[in-house]
This record gives sequence, structure tokens and C-alpha cells, in this order.
Amino acid sequence: MAILQSQRGLQFIQTITYPDIAIAEGKFTFLTGESGCGKSTYLRLLNATALPIAGKIEYRGAAIDVGMDIIEYRRKVVLTPQEVYLFDGTIEGNFRKYYKMREESAPERAKMEQFLRICCSLFPLDTRCDTLSGGERQRVFMAIFLSFNPEVLLLDEPTSALDEQTAKRMLTNLKSHCQTQGITVVVVCHSDELVRQFADIQIDLGKEARG
Amino acid sequence: MNGIVELQLWQFSLVYLLLVVVAVIMKCCHIDQTKRMAVASVRMTVQLVLAGLVLTYIFENPSPVFTLGYLGMMIVFTILRVLGNNKGINLRFQLTIAASLALSGIFVIFFFVVVVVGESIFNPQYVITIGGMVMGNTMTGVSLGVKTLRESLMGQRVKLNALICAGAKPKVILRPFVERALETAMVPTFNSMIGMGIVSLPGMMTGQILSGTLPQTAILYQIAIMISICTVVTVASFCSLYLGYQTLYRSPEQIIDI
Repeated sequence: MAILQSQRGLQFIQTITYPDIAIAEGKFTFLTGESGCGKSTYLRLLNATALPIAGKIEYRGAAIDVGMDIIEYRRKVVLTPQEVYLFDGTIEGNFRKYYKMREESAPERAKMEQFLRICCSLFPLDTRCDTLSGGERQRVFMAIFLSFNPEVLLLDEPTSALDEQTAKRMLTNLKSHCQTQGITVVVVCHSDELVRQFADIQIDLGKEARG
Repeated sequence: MNGIVELQLWQFSLVYLLLVVVAVIMKCCHIDQTKRMAVASVRMTVQLVLAGLVLTYIFENPSPVFTLGYLGMMIVFTILRVLGNNKGINLRFQLTIAASLALSGIFVIFFFVVVVVGESIFNPQYVITIGGMVMGNTMTGVSLGVKTLRESLMGQRVKLNALICAGAKPKVILRPFVERALETAMVPTFNSMIGMGIVSLPGMMTGQILSGTLPQTAILYQIAIMISICTVVTVASFCSLYLGYQTLYRSPEQIIDI
């Protein structure tokens, strides 16, 4: 069953028109296609941080538009953007700041560690984030977003700063966590190898989205 | 106390000799600002001479139209200067700043002249002088506050995007930036209040004492004007920033436009 879908004709800018797309509930879907075909933009459209100029996206059969509570929707359909942002300070401090910005109380320390473990980034919670490498920061960032426990998790190139070994370990953990929790995942990824190994469903935008 | 010594023109022109000292120092240190200094000196002289002529005329022919006209002109110039220092902000933000400057300025000037001093709001001697001090300081404060807000948001696209994607409200994301900007706007006024009377005698008080006012009276005026300035800077900056930042995001879509 499709949790998110859009019909042919969906546009964010004039040059990109999306085909029919349906995201199956509870599955691990990979969006692929060459650079510039609109993969990242599609994720932004899905979590309503960008709005289409034509067409619409439906979430559980209801159109996403400004009439709804956009913030509440965005918390159900969370996008982990490609560009990592961590505050100055410790890993725990980052969890707390992100939750404060969402006006929610932060999870227990044990919970934080659980999500860090899933994302292969189980560093001590008082580690300062400016001492982490690019790949480590990416995984901590992802752990924070995963801890929001969304219904749909959209990941924009989650493994771009990771070596293949780590990427595989992380996706394995992530997939099993999301399957047990019933979280639908949509991943934008450039690695054919990872797509082959982890995709339940692959949607190739490259061939169809342009024009 | 004696009244002030009337300056003869030839005596007065001696003060320009001091600028020679400035010019020599700049020359020695290869500071290439001689032209700027000359322009600044000439502009200041011309502007003040004009202001002197206009004020003399208005004081000799007092009329509500002149007083309010002058006040209005000061407010308009204040608005234009603040907006000129902050190019590139959206129209709604600009209107918010203009309204905040005008309304808070008028309120404080009215309060000072009519309620505290007990003079008519049409009395040019009070309205124009007090108005000038109030609007001048408001200009500095609001300009600094808005500039701080804009500059602190610049280069924060990644942060804003990450927080928006995480489901934070634009209001909550932007609020800390606004709070910091308001603080920056207010600090210079507090600093000048702290140093007041120890390092320097403030301009208004000096002027009053020179023209024969008792220091006790001059002090009361100085304290009153400082509190007024503190209030107007705070209120104008608060309104400009807290109402203005809401123009930086689209409410129904909850998307930040920066």
C-alpha cells in the first residue's frame, strides 16, 4: 500500500516534471537517477519543505497543502538533509538542542545511545562534535533524526561521507530498526552496490523526470 | 551663572585650525582620508548653518506646522538612514521598521515634552531639540539591531534547513537570532549610561551649563533624556525586530525565505 504518492505532472520548477511515484508503506525505497534529475527536491517536496508549482503529493490519501498543520506533518515525515548541521558542543547537547527546537523533551541518555549505536556512531555522549570527522558527524546527525521516530524517514545521501564497510553496517542496522518499528524509508543514494543490497524497491527518476 | 560667551565669527573660525593637526597626522601615517575629512567638515558646516538658519526662523515664527513639519522630516530621515544601512530586506520588513521608528519616536517625544516637561507639543524649542536626540539614538540602535540580525543569519542556510527539516517551527528557529540582535541594539545605550558623568559630561548637559542653566537642572534633563533614549531604542528595536522577523518566513507553508 502506498503511504506517499504523486501523479505525473508534479513540478517544483518548470524544467523537472516527475512521473507517477508511489512510496510503499513499511518498505526501504531507493530513489536513483543522475545528478540534477530532482531526487533531493523530491524528498523536500515529500516533507513539505518545498512546495510544488504544479501537481500534488498525497500522504495516506490526503493532499499535502498549506491548509494542514505543516509542522505536525513534517514531524511525521522527517527529512535528514544531505548537508549535516551540528551545533557547537557535545553529542548529548546536540540531541537536546534539536529537541528544544522541536519544543519537545529530549530522550533519556540510554535512548540517545541506542540511536547512536544503530547509526554506528556510539561515541561517548560528552564527545565534542567539533572533534568528529565528517563521516562521524554525518552518522551522529542521522542518529538524532532517527530518534524523532517518524512514520516516514527520508534520507538524502546518508552515506556520502562514509566508507563502504561503514555504510553497509549502518544501512543494515537502519533497515532492521525501521522494519521492526514500521518506519517507511526513502533513500537517495548514488551507490549501485548499496541499492542492490538494500533496496526493497528502486525508483529511477533519471530516465523519466526530465522534460 | 553667566550666560554663554557669544562667539565672534573670526574667533570661531580659529577652531578649524585644529583640523590642520588632524590633516598632518593623517599625512604622516599615510592615511588616505584627507578628502573624506574635508568633505565631512564642509558638509557638517553647511548642514549646521542651514539648521541654524531654519531653527532661528522657526523660533521667531513659531507655528505648529513648522514644529510638526520639522519633526516629521527628522523621522523620515531616520527611517531612510536605517533602511539605507540595511539594503536588501523585504518590503514588509521595511514597512515594519518605518512604523516602529515613527511610532516609538513620537510616543517618547510626546511623553518627554508634554508629560514630563509640561510644555506644548508644538513648542519648537523642546520638540525639535529633544526630537533630534531621541531620533538620532533610535537610528543608531535600530540600524545596529537589524544589521546584526541580517548578518547573523547570513551563511546559516545549512543550519536553518536542517532545523526546518527536523520539524522545528521557523518562529522557534529564528527567535534566538532576534534576541541576540535586540541585545546588540541595546548595549551601546547602556554603556553610555554607565560612563555618564564620570568620563564625560554629556552633550545636552554641557550645552545647558554653558548657556547658564544650573547644573542641578541640567542633570535632571540629562537623566530624563537618557531614560527616554533607552526606552525609545528598546521599544523601536523590539518592534522592528520582533515584528520584522515574522516577514522572514511564510506562515502557512512554514518555510524560511533567506
